[in-house]
Amino acid sequence: MDAALLEQMLLGALLALSVYLPLGCGQLSLATPGFYAVGGYVAALLSTGVAAFVGSGATSPLWALLAEMVLGGMLAGLIALAIGGPVLRLRGIYLAIATIALVEILRVLNLNLPFTGGAMGIFGIPQPFAHAEGYVLFTLALLALACWLCQRLEALRLGRAMAAIRDDELAAASVGIDTPRTKLIAFVASAVLAGVTGALAAHFLNSWNARAGSFDASITTLAFVVFGGSRFWLGPVIGGLALTALPELLRPVGDLRLILFGAVILLGPLFFPQGLVTAERLRALGALLGRGRHRSRQAPQAP
Amino acid sequence: MNRSPDATAPVPLLQVEAVSCRFGGLLALDRVSLELEEGEIFGLIGPNGAGKTTLFNVISGLTTPSGGRCLWRGVPTTGLGASGLNRLGIARTFQNLRLFESLTVRENVLVGLHHAARAPLLGALLGNGAFRRHQGRLEARAMELLTLLELAALAEQRAGDLPYGDRRRLEIARALATAPQLLLLDEPAAGMNPAEKDDLRQLIGRIRDHFALTVLIIEHHVPLMMRLCDRLAVLNFGQRIALGSPAEVRTDPRVIEAYLGGQGQARGEGR
Ligand SMILES: Nc1ncnc2c1ncn2[C@@H]1O[C@H](COP(=O)(O)OP(=O)(O)OP(=O)(O)O)[C@@H](O)[C@H]1O
Ligand SMILES: [Mg+2]
Repeated sequence: MDAALLEQMLLGALLALSVYLPLGCGQLSLATPGFYAVGGYVAALLSTGVAAFVGSGATSPLWALLAEMVLGGMLAGLIALAIGGPVLRLRGIYLAIATIALVEILRVLNLNLPFTGGAMGIFGIPQPFAHAEGYVLFTLALLALACWLCQRLEALRLGRAMAAIRDDELAAASVGIDTPRTKLIAFVASAVLAGVTGALAAHFLNSWNARAGSFDASITTLAFVVFGGSRFWLGPVIGGLALTALPELLRPVGDLRLILFGAVILLGPLFFPQGLVTAERLRALGALLGRGRHRSRQAPQAP
Repeated sequence: MNRSPDATAPVPLLQVEAVSCRFGGLLALDRVSLELEEGEIFGLIGPNGAGKTTLFNVISGLTTPSGGRCLWRGVPTTGLGASGLNRLGIARTFQNLRLFESLTVRENVLVGLHHAARAPLLGALLGNGAFRRHQGRLEARAMELLTLLELAALAEQRAGDLPYGDRRRLEIARALATAPQLLLLDEPAAGMNPAEKDDLRQLIGRIRDHFALTVLIIEHHVPLMMRLCDRLAVLNFGQRIALGSPAEVRTDPRVIEAYLGGQGQARGEGR
């Protein structure tokens, strides 16, 4: 498997986690590609601007990449914070539609703002890594960090509050959980992760335009989570990796690949309604490996 | 204006002041007033559709009344919302059971310990010693509550898989985990057999003493309520038609007419 595809898969997994976070507290937000686009524009504008200013074109130092990721994540997070209050009052399909509208608004803005390069977008984004392998290692580290945070969340009151809201929002409020605030935190965290991912992706792809954040991408990233499962972080990661790889792996079959891809997205939920990764399968896997946290956690409780 | 603490007339724990609740053309509550004294077990009875659950929803912040207000220790609670009222000290159970079904029994109680679970973020993320000790105390607290409600053996079961009676008790455990001063129980004995009902009655007395609680309870089973409650109020078509000790309520002609007359006595004899 070549490194460029691997990198795309890892980016897909990161975006899937971004969709998973609000879904973890029952919020069907499709805003991830919008925030991804924003993060990418921050990185593209900053790095090309600085490069033009310093006068060294093609490469960019690692610290600059990190700074752009922080700024891209922050801008995305701030937008989410600003709009999250009213938007998250919507539920279910209404929230989904509102977030699709948000992605569209951002896309049109990105097409028409005076500094975002119009339909062509921004070109010649400087490279922090000489080879795709460099990106892969860096993105792998970022994905590991994101997975670790999601795993920790389960042990934290925030993670439990999110799960409670997913199960029954009213009951969650009645045990003292500030449900609007918890939902907002998940939404902002999702936006930050998407923004950070976008900043990294802009460098990797070398150019950035408004197509990065489109309705199509909303559906694709949602498919990652539906396919992989939305209960544990591992589900979206697997979904993101697999469904990003699939169209490329199917390339030999030509135009048929889009049909096959569609079939997988259609049949996946049919055969695995909860997604690939479910509590039962995780437990079975844990038992198979003969260790794992489920067992060690349950041992003291055993009668 | 400041209400100075007055030794001769203690402020009631909760005052319901002329609360009305209208759903379209239906007046579910019609200027209902109540006062709960600290430490009492107060019963709310009345025929189906009388407005009992609606009153619970108003007190616990799930429904905004169309008129009137509630006061907690003399302070209006208007606009606090369900989570705000829980933090004040009001916890409740639901007539139609609202557990976190995909979570385990233990996790349901841990969610109830949400506010006790506050911990510094960095320590929590890294899972340092202080955080783990804090976590250990929470787990111990959860197990204590589960033991009290005879659910300890089921701690790792999914709440959605529990039989009915266990679910009712788990809702009580979850409510108690929020460290309330006032516990609202909406038909906690529904679906239980006579032996379970008797156990539940004793349990409610026990937890009242153990946690120094005030309890407001809705229950259709009149003999149980007569034995359990210090005072009772009767609702009928949204109006409070009686209020007093069980003996007073039992002999109130309006109550006999509206409620006890038919089904109440039949149920009483059935025990
Ligand atoms: N959200 C609502 N919208 C419209 N009508 C409602 C709503 N909640 C309750 N009602 C109506 O208000 C009336 C009182 O209902 P409530 O649930 O408070 O009765 P209850 O005394 O608890 O009855 P039960 O003993 O059957 O539980 C009923 O006629 C009910 O249909
Ligand atoms: Mg009711």
